[in-house]
Amino acid sequence: MSGGTAPTRVSIASGPLVGPVLRRVVGMVAARADLPLDRLDDAVLIADLIAARAPAHVAAETVDVELGSTPRTLNLRVGPLREGGGRALVVDAAVPGVGNVVEQLTDELSVETVDGEEYLCLRLAYDGAG
Amino acid sequence: MQHMAGDNFPNHAHRGGWVTDPGHRDRALGLRSRSRFAARSGPASDFRLTIPADPQNVALVRRLLECVGDTLGVPDGVVEDARLAVTEACTNVVRHAYEEGEGAIDVVVRPRAETLEVVISDEGRGMGPSPDTRGPGLGLPLISALADTVELRPGHDGGNRLAMTFPMGRA
Repeated sequence: MSGGTAPTRVSIASGPLVGPVLRRVVGMVAARADLPLDRLDDAVLIADLIAARAPAHVAAETVDVELGSTPRTLNLRVGPLREGGGRALVVDAAVPGVGNVVEQLTDELSVETVDGEEYLCLRLAYDGAG
Repeated sequence: MQHMAGDNFPNHAHRGGWVTDPGHRDRALGLRSRSRFAARSGPASDFRLTIPADPQNVALVRRLLECVGDTLGVPDGVVEDARLAVTEACTNVVRHAYEEGEGAIDVVVRPRAETLEVVISDEGRGMGPSPDTRGPGLGLPLISALADTVELRPGHDGGNRLAMTFPMGRA
């Protein structure tokens, strides 16, 4: 039997399954990262926001997310996105009456460009984690 | 997990004065409604998942098939058959594909008006007798019994590619 530490990747056509699929994948990876309940809830909420906003900013017609975890830390890499899509996705994630949920809930938020393609990188951690 | 998140959000929403009906969260976030229309199947509902070949990830694949059924209105019988067949296929990868180390399972799901297609691929040892096979070897016959079509062939980068289709007509 094998084990594995390869990252989890999901690529979902921009359509009705983006939210339901991404929510479940993020939720399961976050749970295995041993995030406490409130941070797990935050991770799923961020997944929902990405699902809702990312289709307008992706480079192709799929929402692609790579997920990695270390104990009590979850890393998400969303993309490839259109040029400027990383920042635009974050700005679009503002919820009326709440503010920008992505900025509020992530510990690190950055946009990186690799081989001319833009990615939004998010890190969620438990406060006690390093 | 999902229910915990869903249960928590209305508390935030309630503080903001929003209505806390079950569909509130999705609408507030701009998510599409979850009405059950098989017509929503098609290329816009395809997805691909690449996960480590760990036993615990088989459950994730099963859950995603449930999610396809719930979201697109796929008949329960089709979802059940697909779940069972995919469980067998993924378990085969976990048990036999990567005997010398770690590797990945690649899952592609393509819901269509007439069929649900699922393709399970790996980059492992490929076809052949497995030294750790002690069971009755019912995996592929079971998959063949459940699916309308089954195609097993070597993958592009080694390993195996198992493509299955399930007819939507099954209630």
